[in-house]
Amino acid sequence: MTKREVHFTLNGRSVTYEVEPRTTLLRALRHHGVTSVKRGCEEGECGTCTVLLDGVPVKSCTVLALEVEGRSVLTAEGLVGKDGKLHPVQQAFVEEGGIQCGFCTPGMVLTTYALLKKNPDPSEDEIRLALAGNLCRCTGYTGIFRSVKRAAELLKDQA
Amino acid sequence: MEKKSMIGAWVTRVYDPEKAAGTLKFTDDLSFGSELLYARAARSTIPCGKIVNIDYSEALKVPGVVKVIVGKNFPIHFGIYLKDRTAMAVEKVRYIGEPVALVVAESEDAAEEGALKVRVEYEEETPVFDAAEAMKENAPLVHPDLGSYEHVSFVTPVPGTNIAQHFKIRRGDIEKGFEEADQVLEESFSCPQIAHAFLEPHACICLQDPVSQEVTIWSTAQSAFTLRELVAKGLELPLHKVRVIAPPIGGGFGGKAGITVEPLCLAAALDPDIKGRPVKLFVPREEVLTTSWVRQGWNTKVKMGVKKDGTISAMKVELVFDTGTSAEYGANPVRSAGYTSMGCYYVPNIWTDSYGVYTNKPFGGAYRGFGLPELMGGLEAVVDAIAYRIGMDPIEFRLKNLLKPGLPTCTGMPMPPHALDKIIKKVAEKIDYHREEPPVRKGWKRGKGIALAIKAPAMPADASSSATVEILGDGSVKVLAATMDMGQGAYTAYAQIVSEELGVPMERVKCYYPDTAAQPYDWQTVASRSLWSMGMAIKRACEDARSQLLALYAEYWQCNPEEITIEDGIVKCPKLGKAEPIDEKTQNGFKMPDGKYKGGPIIGRGHFVPPDVVYPDLETGQSEKSVVHFTVGAVGVDIEVDPGTGEIVVNKAVAGYDAGRVISPLNVKCQIEGGTVQGLSAGMFEGIYYDKNGKLLTPDFTDYKIATTMDVPWEIESFCEETPEDPSPYGNRGVGEHSMISPAAALGNALYKAIGIRIHQYPFTRERVYMAIKAAERGEKDFWG
Ligand code: FES
Ligand code: FES
Repeated sequence: MTKREVHFTLNGRSVTYEVEPRTTLLRALRHHGVTSVKRGCEEGECGTCTVLLDGVPVKSCTVLALEVEGRSVLTAEGLVGKDGKLHPVQQAFVEEGGIQCGFCTPGMVLTTYALLKKNPDPSEDEIRLALAGNLCRCTGYTGIFRSVKRAAELLKDQA
Repeated sequence: MEKKSMIGAWVTRVYDPEKAAGTLKFTDDLSFGSELLYARAARSTIPCGKIVNIDYSEALKVPGVVKVIVGKNFPIHFGIYLKDRTAMAVEKVRYIGEPVALVVAESEDAAEEGALKVRVEYEEETPVFDAAEAMKENAPLVHPDLGSYEHVSFVTPVPGTNIAQHFKIRRGDIEKGFEEADQVLEESFSCPQIAHAFLEPHACICLQDPVSQEVTIWSTAQSAFTLRELVAKGLELPLHKVRVIAPPIGGGFGGKAGITVEPLCLAAALDPDIKGRPVKLFVPREEVLTTSWVRQGWNTKVKMGVKKDGTISAMKVELVFDTGTSAEYGANPVRSAGYTSMGCYYVPNIWTDSYGVYTNKPFGGAYRGFGLPELMGGLEAVVDAIAYRIGMDPIEFRLKNLLKPGLPTCTGMPMPPHALDKIIKKVAEKIDYHREEPPVRKGWKRGKGIALAIKAPAMPADASSSATVEILGDGSVKVLAATMDMGQGAYTAYAQIVSEELGVPMERVKCYYPDTAAQPYDWQTVASRSLWSMGMAIKRACEDARSQLLALYAEYWQCNPEEITIEDGIVKCPKLGKAEPIDEKTQNGFKMPDGKYKGGPIIGRGHFVPPDVVYPDLETGQSEKSVVHFTVGAVGVDIEVDPGTGEIVVNKAVAGYDAGRVISPLNVKCQIEGGTVQGLSAGMFEGIYYDKNGKLLTPDFTDYKIATTMDVPWEIESFCEETPEDPSPYGNRGVGEHSMISPAAALGNALYKAIGIRIHQYPFTRERVYMAIKAAERGEKDFWG
């Protein structure tokens, strides 16, 4: 199949990928070594492939790479500071036991980041709802709930 | 000032920062260059029959397809306990979804397209899907050749039947026991197969060097060394010619133990036309259930006899595990449930038959809890039921019959020390078990329930571990301990041990993911054994390294080794007033007072094998030491049910276990939380279903529901008692699996309290609960639908 170019911003830097029209954003990113975006199902059901597309969490396995032309994509690596410091959201997951195997974590972190951007002080129900599309089999979510709360605190302190 | 111990210290977990950043590479994240080939299986469309012809000519025409391999090209039997499995069907297919051909191509897409073009002609045979049917005489045989399969001595298949494994307990006088009883109750409970549902699907890359014939496997494997051994045996290669590299895995829960998808990938990588090129097999989500294993379906029947005063006099247990088409691993949970069939109770007269039965379905294997959720799902319900029957409080009944330390288990082994009585009381107190409370939600029904948990590591008697600890030239430490840290946090605990034993800061200790070419042997990362067994090896390796270092310093400083300490990476001799950080001398050698160099890199080594396990007698199940130890605990839930929809909401869940000693509090807490939810999720949602022809109806997360953030309690209260284990590195024993054992049973008991009817079939889905409520309204007491 003929390939086409797609230009977009990845973690703040402009990139051009050559992709087949059928290639999903998930596969394109992974093909280019952006492997924090995990393929847990490629059916839009698990959330491990979550990226922020113009700030909104989307499942990159349900987006065609060509659709992100001119848009901005953020992945978990993109949250890490230049000095190697974790973003407060990531730090909160480490501190509160929000991580076990780590396979859902990049997606969880991004969804949490997007939630707290929009809503710095989410209620229990708002947290549940925001993360409902991200499955985790290891933590039972309780550690993740604590992490979101903690992230909100850390971000508040920072502000 | 007393130095703060690292054992039990609240520390965050190693590798979590990389996981949070997304920079940790899992198997599917590795790159292998443009020589990499991709494999994809074409699968059987019938549940049972002979393969007449496989036509893959159209597949070969797909651009990019390199080769198609069929079962008879690679007929080797693999399996850990019973070699009843080939990578692909050879001559006969046994379930819908069984691989019949493997298409190898230059791209994933081409492999997938090719796989769709394989056409197979079958001569259909009669399948059997139900384990009870399969046990009947004259049932069609799933494995007519069962008698010829190789198996370990402690697995007992019954050739000429579908019984792949039959484990027995015969203790006391069962008839007399029931005669002595004033009440006898018999109940049965069942549950379909369930899925591990780890979020990382299986992936595997295999490569054979065409000259040396050496095989390298990168795989989502819990157990690099067992995989190495099974591959080497199957391929008749010496162990050193098989290298297994196991990158971090995204959840295992038993589903990546032993040998799983690797033979399928090897079938391609070893092909004469392919050899020399790496081949990758990524198992798409919808194929995970058909290519790997599931938790066995089960039916647990318990007949219990109780005297007036509430003591159990006899128990007859029949466990039937539906193991699907292979019992290669599934044979062992059958044993595990069998030799623990007394549960947490002292039962003087006990008779158990535990069967693993073949059916024409995807196969069952290891799953967190390993036979015990299957046992407790029935037993703990019967305990509640019989307590009510004799008018005794279920907590009091449990305490009265508790398998107290020193009392014999069903194998005759004396129960080791534990604090289960305390745990039960605490759990009951924390959910306020004895207080009937009105529902929080208007019109709902509320109930509270408790269930106990017990489990021993289920493993061969001689499951060993070894480790090395190398003190590097700057005082940092390299630990080689081939446990897979799949989220349970093993490496964090290991770093704590090393920090404690060597006196170096934890941040300066590094554990590496398994690679059989680099690391010393460890049996498997299963059975909640690692921090106990590998913990012993690591502690010994530290002692070895430390004594080497102290001996060198003693000579260097001219003092006694006992006068030297290491704290925070500083070696000190207070008597001589000397102190210095560990430096390159530990690597390059010490220039001793006599001018000569001594030493060189310091590598401590340690190993461990359980000293005294005796396999239970095959006829009676009796053994003075059937297992290394038991971890016990209890879980309590406070739930509410919406009678209008059957929905269950868990208000509160509390779980406590006797961990012996908690080394990593954050890990233990998180294991309990995760396992409790996995257990609740199994209890409320999970089941693998097939249509009447054996076709899987639940291949994805839409149809196979697991708990989401919307379904779980906001908090799970967990706690541990610490009755020390011996032998053990610090008194600790495993807790990884235990939290998964009894949440579903506790849920069932709470549900009974809430709605007044006993549901005999897991999971307690809304529909089932709703119908049970309707049945209760008709005055029924048991619901089987
Ligand atoms: S991989 Fe995209 S949702 Fe699962
Ligand atoms: S940490 Fe393993 S799936 Fe979430």
